[in-house]
Amino acid sequence: MRTLKKIAVFTGSLLFPAVLLAAEYELSVDPVMIDTGDFTKIGVGYNGSSPGPTLRMKEGETATIKVTNNLDVDTSIHWHGLIVPADQDGVPGISFDGIKPGETFTYTFPVRQNGTYWYHSHSGFQEPDGAYGSLVIEAEDREPFRYDRDYVVQLADKHPDAGAQIMHNLKNSAEYYNRTEQTLPDFFSDIGENGFLATVKDRWDWGNMRMMKTDIEDVQGFTGLINGKGPDQNWTGQFEPGERVRLRLINSSASTYFDFRIPGMKMTVVAADGNNIQPVVVDELRLAVAETYDVIVQPREDKAYTLFAESMGRTGYARGTLAPREGMTAAVPEMREPPLLTMADMGHGGMDHGSMSDTEMNASDMDHSSMDHSAMDAADPFYAPGSGLLPQAASGGKFLSYADLRAQQPRYDYREPEREIVLRLTGNMERYIWSINGVKFEDAEPLRLQYGERVKIRFINETMMAHPMHLHGMWSLLNVGAKGDNPTKHVISVNPNTEVAVDVEVDEPGEWAFHCHIFNHANAGMFLKVVVEGGDA
Amino acid sequence: MKDKGTSTYLAAGFFLALWSFTSVVSASPGHGDQQRESMGQPGQPEQVDRSIDIEMHDNYYGVENLDIQAGETIRFQVTNKGKLVHEFSVGTPDMHEGHQEMMQMMVEHGAIKGGQINQQAMQMDMGDGRSMQHDDPNSLLLEAGETGELIWTFNEPVKNLEFACNLPGHYQAGMMGNFHFQQ
Repeated sequence: MRTLKKIAVFTGSLLFPAVLLAAEYELSVDPVMIDTGDFTKIGVGYNGSSPGPTLRMKEGETATIKVTNNLDVDTSIHWHGLIVPADQDGVPGISFDGIKPGETFTYTFPVRQNGTYWYHSHSGFQEPDGAYGSLVIEAEDREPFRYDRDYVVQLADKHPDAGAQIMHNLKNSAEYYNRTEQTLPDFFSDIGENGFLATVKDRWDWGNMRMMKTDIEDVQGFTGLINGKGPDQNWTGQFEPGERVRLRLINSSASTYFDFRIPGMKMTVVAADGNNIQPVVVDELRLAVAETYDVIVQPREDKAYTLFAESMGRTGYARGTLAPREGMTAAVPEMREPPLLTMADMGHGGMDHGSMSDTEMNASDMDHSSMDHSAMDAADPFYAPGSGLLPQAASGGKFLSYADLRAQQPRYDYREPEREIVLRLTGNMERYIWSINGVKFEDAEPLRLQYGERVKIRFINETMMAHPMHLHGMWSLLNVGAKGDNPTKHVISVNPNTEVAVDVEVDEPGEWAFHCHIFNHANAGMFLKVVVEGGDA
Repeated sequence: MKDKGTSTYLAAGFFLALWSFTSVVSASPGHGDQQRESMGQPGQPEQVDRSIDIEMHDNYYGVENLDIQAGETIRFQVTNKGKLVHEFSVGTPDMHEGHQEMMQMMVEHGAIKGGQINQQAMQMDMGDGRSMQHDDPNSLLLEAGETGELIWTFNEPVKNLEFACNLPGHYQAGMMGNFHFQQ
């Protein structure tokens, strides 16, 4: 605290008064028209639009948010990434009963954090239908970086089919939206390249898995959006050359991971999931569904730069522009070739190499400072070796890895977890059932945690799709081998055939949701209820 | 001791080479030397006109704008109040950019780790007679909690003269400040 006072002497104008503020916000949940430039359709939005408005809160205030439901069905709002009392978390059936048509529900919670977050409905198919918005919390103290301009860049994958229809189609055929299935001509060209027996065996192996090499995105045919605008509608943020611009990247997609870059410009990543990290300069980064990253860029030239977000499976993209003046544009790159899953993603050869267990990964292995250049260029340890999903920067430069993330100011002191919980991420692609430890939500016992304990949760992904796992109510301390400097996150992407461990300080009483944030995976059963026992719930 | 002396000497040579390279890039053609000279040079204690205290935090300076007079000699008393290693370096944006490659190398090779500087790693032979010894006359590299002093004589006004921390990502995230020449 003494340090803070000293900082205040120099940067007083940057600090907000540390008094308790009460702030009121109002949101109406409305049927809206959504126009992506490619198609127009009815959806769900807030205050008459999708995405909803950016809610700007201040750390230290008590937020009161009045939510009025103008739909003819129940709704709810979950404040994604915010640490709030359990009854304010907005998950019907766990935190509260939901908001009835015509009803106004008032959320109230103290704002105890800062950074970039978002909000969305946790009812029905409203989130993929457009019920999402961004949430920006101004810091109470001086931030460990500075910028002249500040833009939200909220990505989404808007599909012409309604959310309920998509789920129905996937249940009928998991490959319904796979526009990149391998075809008969592919079969013959593979025979030409690999020989007949190898090709037949390859197809046979994949058939046994009920998966295809192109099963990277199970919902294709979407239009990528930035702040609600399709590629042709071209969302544009303005800058003066030389200014530092903070981009608050939020992936509010229902299903899609995006690889984000700005051709011709490096980005300095300064926060992940709302928590500041030690800055990392990158050319490109991957945003799992529901993750947020803050980057600072400094365009020096008087020209336009394209914001380009390709889906991980290269089936669609979002595009926007940073420009000194409205109306300026830069070239829009072609999408790269779609990746293909490999045997490494399927798990042939065991999981040993892709696992991130403590025994195999200690701090010195993972520590940047002890890596030489060749090690830096080597595979990202958060992907199975040989994985088809391993990202590479289009520029040939640096692609952000989870292994690069170090907390700028750790939220918790390090301590050893008292026990370990294994969560196997499981699924049956053919029947489109997704589950945890082989049990789907309806049949699963709640996961019971004790207030005050620190647990290690070890995710083991036994499927061939990546799963962005989101624990409500408590932070996930991602194990990158840096102990006390491990980054604090709210979404942990677990790639096919890998293990990822997080520590959780169980410091919030009550009942919470814990699920894969790919909308249809959660819906199909990759979802758990967490009960924190003890504390004063 | 002999080894250390040699590597320091070689390192100094390398830095001088880097110094003139970056200044040539930054200035208009043929004016490289002029820019480097006009930026100023290390000053002597007896020439000091005034002292300025600079606090370094994670990852920003307590002061981000400094008014100075052409010809002034200033003693910068710099304290690292953060938990990470930070630098106080006087230069133009292009010079800082050149220096950032060096700092990136230091971090990748373990010469800088968190809040600490590994002097042994700094002296590692990098080939071509290069080491990572950080002895640029225009900059101070400080461990967490450390205090250092840099005396600098400013010559004629230079546009875009900045003080900056060139640890990976720090300058980009905004750990820099501007010198403003007063008439």
